[in-house]
Amino acid sequence: MSYDPCLKCEEVIQPFLDRELTEAERNEAETHLDGCGYCRKRYRFEVSLRRFVRQAWDEPMPPDLKQRLAALRTPLF
Amino acid sequence: MTQIEPEADPRRIAEEARDRVRFEEEVLELADQVYRVARRLVGSKEEAEDLVQETYARAFRSWRSFTPGTNLRAWLFRILTNLNIDRGRRQQRTPDTQPIEEGDYFLYNRLEETAPEEDTERIVERLSQDSVVYALSAVPHDFRDVIVLVDIGDFSYQDAAQILDIPIGTVMSRLHRGRRILKRELAEEAVAER
Repeated sequence: MSYDPCLKCEEVIQPFLDRELTEAERNEAETHLDGCGYCRKRYRFEVSLRRFVRQAWDEPMPPDLKQRLAALRTPLF
Repeated sequence: MTQIEPEADPRRIAEEARDRVRFEEEVLELADQVYRVARRLVGSKEEAEDLVQETYARAFRSWRSFTPGTNLRAWLFRILTNLNIDRGRRQQRTPDTQPIEEGDYFLYNRLEETAPEEDTERIVERLSQDSVVYALSAVPHDFRDVIVLVDIGDFSYQDAAQILDIPIGTVMSRLHRGRRILKRELAEEAVAER
C-alpha cells in the first residue's frame, strides 16, 4: 500500500489538537498542513467544530449546588 | 521564643483538622469543573447534581486516601467516574469491534457537499447546539466517558487512563471511535434537517 500523506494527516488530526503528538509527529503534521490546502481546510473546520461543541456542552454549575456541597464537609467540632 | 509544648495528641488532632480543612477547600474549588463533566456524563441536570453530591460526600469521607502532592483533580474525577459506573447505568459492555467506516474528515465532507463555496469557519454554524448535545447522548457510555474527560475536563490521555483505570491505548481507541460516532450522528442530524 502506498503512503498517503493526507490519510496520515487525517489520522493524527485529533491527537494533534489534543496536544498529544510527539514533537517529530507534530512537525510532520504541521509541514503537511502548510503545504496542503485540502487538509488545512479540514483542520480549520476541526478547530471551529471543537469550539462549537465545547460551547454547546458547557453548562455551568447551578449557583446553590456549591453551598450544598460545602454543607457536606466534616464539622470541625 | 519559648513555646509551651502541647501534648502530642492534641497537636496531631489540630494538624489533622487543618489538613482536612485545606483539602476540603481545594476540593470545593473544583466543584464547577466536576459539575460540567458530570452534566455530560449523565442524562439530566438532576442526575448530575446527585452525582456531584455523592462524589463530594465520598471525597470528604475518604480524604485520608488522597496522597498530598499527587493529582487532586484526577483523584476526585476518579471518584466521580467510579460512582457513575456504580450507579448501574451500564450493564452491557460496548463492543469495540463494530466497524466504523467514516474517517475523521467525514463530517466536513458531508457538510461541504451541500454548500461547497462556504467559508470553512462558517460551515460549523450549520449544526445546532441542540444537535451537538443530542449527538453526545447517542455515543455509547464507554466512549462518551473518555470524550467528556478529554474535551470538557481537559485531561491528558494519561490522566484519563488513570481516572478510568484503563490502558492509555484504550483511551486513544475509545476517543478515536467515540469522536467518529459523534460525527456520524452530527452528519445524520445535519442532513435530516435540510
